[in-house]
Amino acid sequence: MSVLAATGRAIITRSAVTGRAILLLVHGLLALRHVRRSIPQVIRHLDMAGYGSILVLSLIAGLTGMIMAVQTGSELQRFGVLDNLGAIIGATFCREMGPIWAAVIVLARVGASMAAELGTMAVNEEVDALRVMSIDPVRYLVMPRLLALMIVMPLLTTIADVVGIAGGALITKSMFGQPIQVFMDSAQGLLQGLDFYSGLAKSWVFALIIGTIACDQGLATQNGAEGVGRSTTTTVVLSVVFVLLADLVMTSFIQIVVKPLVT
Amino acid sequence: MRRAATNPGTDKYTQHQLIEDWPADRLEAGVPLAPTLPGKAPLIEIRAIKKAFGARRILRGIDADIYKGETFVILGGSGSGKTTLIKHLMAMLTPDSGTVAIDGQDMARFTPEQLAAYRRRMGVVFQNAALLNSLTVLENVGLPLIEVDHCPPDEVQTRVTEALRQVFLPADEILHLKPASLSGGMRKRVGIARAIIQRPEIILYDEPTTGLDPVTVSGVNELTLELQKTMGVTSIVITHDLDAAFTIADRIAVLYKGRFIALGDKEQIRTNPHPVLRQLLTGSTRGPLTEGYLAPAAAASPVPVGVMPRPATESSTTSGNRP
Repeated sequence: MSVLAATGRAIITRSAVTGRAILLLVHGLLALRHVRRSIPQVIRHLDMAGYGSILVLSLIAGLTGMIMAVQTGSELQRFGVLDNLGAIIGATFCREMGPIWAAVIVLARVGASMAAELGTMAVNEEVDALRVMSIDPVRYLVMPRLLALMIVMPLLTTIADVVGIAGGALITKSMFGQPIQVFMDSAQGLLQGLDFYSGLAKSWVFALIIGTIACDQGLATQNGAEGVGRSTTTTVVLSVVFVLLADLVMTSFIQIVVKPLVT
Repeated sequence: MRRAATNPGTDKYTQHQLIEDWPADRLEAGVPLAPTLPGKAPLIEIRAIKKAFGARRILRGIDADIYKGETFVILGGSGSGKTTLIKHLMAMLTPDSGTVAIDGQDMARFTPEQLAAYRRRMGVVFQNAALLNSLTVLENVGLPLIEVDHCPPDEVQTRVTEALRQVFLPADEILHLKPASLSGGMRKRVGIARAIIQRPEIILYDEPTTGLDPVTVSGVNELTLELQKTMGVTSIVITHDLDAAFTIADRIAVLYKGRFIALGDKEQIRTNPHPVLRQLLTGSTRGPLTEGYLAPAAAASPVPVGVMPRPATESSTTSGNRP
């Protein structure tokens, strides 16, 4: 009985949280019609989410490209097919590594910070203060953050793609002596527009997931500093899980449904 | 440890009863509870509101009328239900039963437009000012003008400067500072300036003097009185600060465990014999407020409650605030 009750209670609670988050997302997207009134907030969050993430994302994407080149290049050289390294690294970054690294950096840096900031505002009654002034907290706090992430994520993904491929090309040239032109020709030979755009589409969905979870957890924060810490941790954990889950669903959809239509 | 009521048949309160065991009629026995003033039309009517969060019953039946232009103070200790009550007055919570009405209209039945219109008539001073840390003083105080009234920047600056001067703040010096650069007292005043920027009819103060030094407390009290005099606002103040309550109030309601145990003007409250009120006024560590919480040594010879109404000036075991 108690196990059944606990399971039932857990399902109800999680369903309620999921429903609340979906409603917040819908409300946030509907609030986009008031975007002109929120331009200063959007710019602030663009700066925080985008500009502040470029350096660390570039570093991580570049290093990942280099590591992949070292690992994969050694094997390919053994079989005499080093010419394919550009295609492998290019496809990996455009399809998966670019959007995933951008999402990981954004959720760790920006998502956690959004949850903590909104959580602190909630426990300090700043969100209540907005409500009693008849200012919609979703329009004022959530929509600018969602929009900033929706703009920034595809840009960060593109940067991650370019820097990751460049890192791979650099190592291929310096370690295996292969001209950069050969690496790039190999990449261009395999990559299609779909590979690049599917990565951008994924990053856009990841932005919505991270933004919604961070804002929902932040606004629902209770119990002071402890609650803020809990919201921040929950945001990171849930974002990682849902980003990977969404990635699996979208990759399957692209491979099974979209790709046959395009090719 | 909770003990059961032992002598429900007598009219005396006893040390063996916890206050929650007392039935409502006995809580008010011998206590002049005067929720309405005859012949005056109330601005806000609170009728029998009850509110629970899960198993916790926070408000257990509150009745009061609040009249235009008065300063109505809700006095109570921690956990008495003050914040829950004020959130009902802000229309941020709806009661499980009972009604809160303004001008005869039940707030629970407000349309979004009516809710916005009500909130336009109301300013709220939050306990910790609740200023947005990412905004300057100008943007914080002017927030409702910018976001709700869509005033042009020049008008916002003029009205913010005027509001800051009304709360005796040097507008030119602090206009472009962030809240983190201000002292606690200044933040509280900036919060009051934000509450009055739209020239409200009603101002709700949530613990306006908590955490402030005595000079700043006096300043905030004077400011509350000044705003009532100059703007004719109806002020509803929740506080546990007795000095502040007796300085600014026209009427005081004393909240204990989700019920008003006394309501009246300052003199009626001063002379009210209710044991909880006596303990609150004297600041004594012995009495119904602390029953069950004291260490055995302190509780060994408790002063009987309910049969020993003491005047407010009587000595006590602590040096708490007194009216």
